Amino acid sequence: MSLINTVKKIFSNNDPVKTEGDSNGDESTPPSIESSEKPADNFPELPQERMTINLSVIKESNTSSPQSDEILIKAEPSVANDQCVFMVNRTLMEGYSWYFSSFESAAGSSLAEALFSLEDVESALILESTLTLTRKDKTIVDWKPLAKEVGAVVRKALEGGGPLISEKIIAEMPSEESVREGIQKSIDTEVNPGVAGHGGHITLQSVKGNTVTIQMGGGCQGCSAADLTLKQGIHSSFRKAVPMVGAILDETDHSAGVNPYF
Amino acid sequence: MPKLNSFKVKVETGDQGTAGPVMFSINRHTLPLENVVGDTGAGDVFEGGFEVNSFAHSLTLVGPEKGQWHIKKITVDFDCEGSQPYSVTYGEVTLDETSQANLWQDPPQLVFDV
Repeated sequence: MSLINTVKKIFSNNDPVKTEGDSNGDESTPPSIESSEKPADNFPELPQERMTINLSVIKESNTSSPQSDEILIKAEPSVANDQCVFMVNRTLMEGYSWYFSSFESAAGSSLAEALFSLEDVESALILESTLTLTRKDKTIVDWKPLAKEVGAVVRKALEGGGPLISEKIIAEMPSEESVREGIQKSIDTEVNPGVAGHGGHITLQSVKGNTVTIQMGGGCQGCSAADLTLKQGIHSSFRKAVPMVGAILDETDHSAGVNPYF
Repeated sequence: MPKLNSFKVKVETGDQGTAGPVMFSINRHTLPLENVVGDTGAGDVFEGGFEVNSFAHSLTLVGPEKGQWHIKKITVDFDCEGSQPYSVTYGEVTLDETSQANLWQDPPQLVFDV
């Protein structure tokens, strides 16, 4: 019997295996394969797992929006290309943030109406001087053509001078206390029971206006799927619980911890 | 996750040096750095690199097998496929036989004016 066949037999069933040189037809006395194995203590010890330290990065940011008379807009697509953040050197919304989920939700808000006039815009989140867009066609990875159109639309809306966000939205903005209460209830009754199965938990860090900041802990911290989890699960739970919640920020450092995901 | 063509690392040792050799770990495979220049004694500057030509899931600088290595600054020059070469500078750290320092940093996001 060849060595390959011997190995195949070892892995294919639990029948006793004959080794080379034992092919004498005597099936009643199967030779032991243990005799050819090295004793367990001959194997080298596995190297001890080292603790991975994440160092502080000393780097210069190139994404700031300088003060200028001219309207300056920078676009930064996400790594996954599922959204693009536009940084403007003007305030788009002060004190609050707002999530426009559809063309209908944009009614009365000149900036959002203009954005939804672009065919491929799916949703818009406005927070201070930033605008985060998602697009309908998820197969397109190049944001440049749409981003140029967005830049022109934002510039035109700002130059128009009118209110960028509907006055009705501002007037009906919920109190921080009611936002905090609704989000905390959503975390306690829906989100945390859901992520507990993965060893994770979510805590509400702060509420500013209608902008909430959360932190992910346990199994969520360092999880490569945390961004997806956050967007798909937690966002929809929060928006269902508090329809007027604006930006949902994640303060978790997913690269921190003793053995973060890389 | 980009394909890492190669990287170069420059390590500035602080008060406490190490005898070496300087090892790094790529995707949990520990290897010595190549084309090394300089030293890892107190106050010395050490440089080395490696032609990886593979996808980097993790990249770390491995601590010395004995004693402590006080590092003042680490600068890593990355050459990844599909992006401009970029550099990352890390701050102070002390490594020993139980630790390693993460060197990996994704390429900077593409930012453009619109």
